[in-house]
Amino acid sequence: MIQELLTPFHYEYMVKAMAVSGLVGGVCALLSCFVTLKGWSLMGDALSHAVVPGVALAYIIGLPFAVGAFFSGLIAALGMGFVRMKTPLREDAVIGVVFTTFFAAGLLLISIFPSEVNLQQIIFGNILGIADEDVWQVVLIAAVTLGVLAVRHRDLMLFCFDASHARALGMNVKVLHFTLLTLLSAMAVAALQAVGACLVVAMLVTPGATAYLLTDRFSRMLKIAGVTGVGSSVAGAYLSYFFDGATGGCIVALQALIFAVVFVFAPKHGLLTNRFGVAKEVGI
Amino acid sequence: MSVERLLEPFTFPFMVDAMVAACVVGIACAVLSCYLVLKGWSLMGDAVSHAVLPGIVLAYLAGVPLAIGAFVSGLGCALLTGFIRANARLKEDTVMGVVFTGLFAIGLVMFSKIRTDLHLDHILFGNVLGIERRDFLELIVVSGVMLCVVTVQGRDLLLFCFDAGHAKSIGLRTGWLNYLLLSLLAATIVVSLKAVGIILVIAMLITPGATGLLLADRWRGVMAVAVAGAAFSSFLGVYVSFFANVSPAASIVLVQSGLFLCALLFSSKHGLLRPRGLDSVVSAK
Repeated sequence: MIQELLTPFHYEYMVKAMAVSGLVGGVCALLSCFVTLKGWSLMGDALSHAVVPGVALAYIIGLPFAVGAFFSGLIAALGMGFVRMKTPLREDAVIGVVFTTFFAAGLLLISIFPSEVNLQQIIFGNILGIADEDVWQVVLIAAVTLGVLAVRHRDLMLFCFDASHARALGMNVKVLHFTLLTLLSAMAVAALQAVGACLVVAMLVTPGATAYLLTDRFSRMLKIAGVTGVGSSVAGAYLSYFFDGATGGCIVALQALIFAVVFVFAPKHGLLTNRFGVAKEVGI
Repeated sequence: MSVERLLEPFTFPFMVDAMVAACVVGIACAVLSCYLVLKGWSLMGDAVSHAVLPGIVLAYLAGVPLAIGAFVSGLGCALLTGFIRANARLKEDTVMGVVFTGLFAIGLVMFSKIRTDLHLDHILFGNVLGIERRDFLELIVVSGVMLCVVTVQGRDLLLFCFDAGHAKSIGLRTGWLNYLLLSLLAATIVVSLKAVGIILVIAMLITPGATGLLLADRWRGVMAVAVAGAAFSSFLGVYVSFFANVSPAASIVLVQSGLFLCALLFSSKHGLLRPRGLDSVVSAK
């Protein structure tokens, strides 16, 4: 029995997959605290779809995928900002129009060059078969993101929490906005490798949302999110060995499960406390 | 290119079927998109469309029609989002992101565990060129019902989307309208899946309405622009895909995006390239 549970560790590709997932999951989780605080969940979803044409193009012309993805994410983000400024449309509609356009363009590219790009790989990730040079790209992106967060997390926190306050204190809000957008775009690219375009948004939202239900302090929120992010990613990758390879699905399903448990049982902000705890207090 | 070559797509029954099906899907989605964009529910289409996956797998296992499973699970996602939103101190978009990705992930895990003749590709990206008779009829019937409901309840829905508080204050049952719009959304997504897939249906549920709002001031005009644009895009998208040998769903969406871009550039009110002289005339009014 124990022998069987340990089998995934005998395979080099499984160990690699668990390590890379853990790294991506952890950094995404830290970023997710800022994203949930700022209310940018839709942005994470949009960017993860918007990078698809860049990834496809990069594979077709033989560039590192991260370069293509990064630029296409950035162009999409700038496009959204531009359309938002110039039209009376709501922000969510603008984001929706732009990211679906990019995604459709990506699909079109892939349908023209079916042999160069593997669609499945982009949509569902390919962590079990990830190439070594792709691992280095992911590690590099994660390290840079982590570095920027370590240096700027106080400013970013204030920006996410209350942008006008940040401006009143004399911070350059535009730079912070752009920084967060860039980090988000970069991590969407890294997470694409691990869980695929459809589920990136979960890595960028769920751990932060879970942690937010457990604590009122931002520093603790970062810790909780980081731990659940790393834990669920490593465990998800491990479990996927027994589930025939839906790695992204396992990771995100696990994250959703943790969220569900926390949502119901969280000591201060959970469903049970809200429903019965408050009633008890009022009763007394 | 000779005329015969241009007419070639029409000689294949599957191409004609695909064009008609794509147009029906396009029109149904376009009507709904006007309401969704006005209400600010663009993300809702995204969420519901992803969330249908576990329902499809469960329906397949249980042997009930896939559309029913998809509808229930799509609607379930919306209801669950509402429930968590009401009971947790999280923003709505965060909750939605957590719920729909969770459901999609569970769907994926279940899908990888069962042996099936379902193609995940067809669910994700649609298969308009190989649409079956039964799906075709289903599509026509559901779209017809949806259009009837919108015709009957259109005014109430419009007021609800425009200003829910006002709608409530004049005695409309906003709770009921909320569920009505969600059900219409879920039903439309479910029948559109076969044609364009769950990822690109999101575009069809946002872009036509956004284009309409850029071009027209009055609701009828918004609706007319959205529907005409969507029907044209569906036709042209499928038609072009025949010659270019590309994914029809992607080309439909790109034509819609192209129309949106034209509206963005040339709209007489908000367009970037509108004749500047008119501004003073408009402001003088």
